[in-house]
Amino acid sequence: MPPREVHVQVTHSMPPQKIEIFKSLEDWAENNILVHLKPVEKCWQPQDFLPEPSSEGFHEEVKELRERSKEIPDDYYVCLVGDMITEEALPTYQTMLNTLDGVRDETGASLTSWAIWTRAWTAEENRHGDLLNRYLYLSGRVDMKQIEKTIQYLIGSGMDPRTENSPYLGFIYTSFQERATFISHGNTARHAKEHGDVKLAQICGTIASDEKRHETAYTKIVEKLFEIDPDGTVLSFADMMKKKISMPAHLMYDGRDDNLFEHFSAVAQRLGVYTAKDYADILEFLINRWKVGELTGLSGEGKRAQDFVCTLAPRIRRIEERAQERAKQAPRVPFSWIYGREVQL
Amino acid sequence: MAAVSATSIRWKDFECEVGFYGHIKENLTLLEAKPETVEKVCEIVKKQLALKDEIVLTPDSKFSALGADSLDTVEIVMGLEEEFGITVEEDNSQNITTIQEAADLIEKLVQQKAEA
Repeated sequence: MPPREVHVQVTHSMPPQKIEIFKSLEDWAENNILVHLKPVEKCWQPQDFLPEPSSEGFHEEVKELRERSKEIPDDYYVCLVGDMITEEALPTYQTMLNTLDGVRDETGASLTSWAIWTRAWTAEENRHGDLLNRYLYLSGRVDMKQIEKTIQYLIGSGMDPRTENSPYLGFIYTSFQERATFISHGNTARHAKEHGDVKLAQICGTIASDEKRHETAYTKIVEKLFEIDPDGTVLSFADMMKKKISMPAHLMYDGRDDNLFEHFSAVAQRLGVYTAKDYADILEFLINRWKVGELTGLSGEGKRAQDFVCTLAPRIRRIEERAQERAKQAPRVPFSWIYGREVQL
Repeated sequence: MAAVSATSIRWKDFECEVGFYGHIKENLTLLEAKPETVEKVCEIVKKQLALKDEIVLTPDSKFSALGADSLDTVEIVMGLEEEFGITVEEDNSQNITTIQEAADLIEKLVQQKAEA
């Protein structure tokens, strides 16, 4: 059975008066956020990185791709597949953005800046899953049916990032996540290069640079919120960090492994694709980006939140260090994505 | 042959002596540590959760009721490990929810360490 969210799902925690803030920011968003979108005519498309089906050399290109793929180890594929599955669950993320009060796309074609952003962001992200899907299909190294099953389960499960319909919580969450994916795809790019697959490295690197651009946009929104409502925003930041930033694919299931996400994360941690250290680094990055330590005029509660957030990263690092010291030899576990072959956790 | 017997007897005496001493030491440990252990745990918990001195903790005080989140609990366990020179296994640390449970586990681990 696919896993379910265990926490109580809270809705509409942002006081309705604050919806006004986002209405009033429409023009600002048009001039400051939409500029981070790339015009479609200037965008890369998955086909740019894949063998051209209409060309004579198609079969040769595919053969060459598969030769490169042979040199790449299973544990790397586990990470790449996990990332691809995460990207392919895009419907969940567009949905999540449209749960947010004050910025949701009310009709599916709303012309508010926020709605335009959400649709265009979704469209850009859509290429990521498509590209990785097609690449993995051609590589011949992975069980596409199992992967496709996992995607179907995951979209069916959805996720509750605990953003409670609040754009404060929502944009803090997306800021964190975009940076996390930027780091993660950057690492898979680096590893691909080390394994001698320059084209795969380019693929992952291109996706990573999209994520970086998105991170810039989302962090700018939150920066504006800190400017307008420092107390509310710092409380939101502390709230998200207390609840912990849950990974979008944490409910993943392949019909076989009840601890699939845990196993995938362990491999990503071991390979250095995405680690607990990265989590702490992202937190620190955001604290500096939003100058949380320098906020003034906070309420008592706000000051406590500021304190909590600003001292959190060292605490996480310390706990992680201790866990690393204690780490016993982890087991090898089969992954259905690679035909049941085993990988070291 | 006589030499061997003499050695055996002396070894046996030595064994008895150690056993006797060890047993006494064990009793002393049990008698002394209990209230001290509980008090030390209270101190560490108060510090971690930044509780005011006036707040009275009882052995049944639950960490979560005192405002501890999951991060606090892990850090409390780390503090106890450092203070008592013990190692708490992952599965054991999940079961520590009150001051008394922490003190009991500490004593068990300190004892195990002494016997090792």
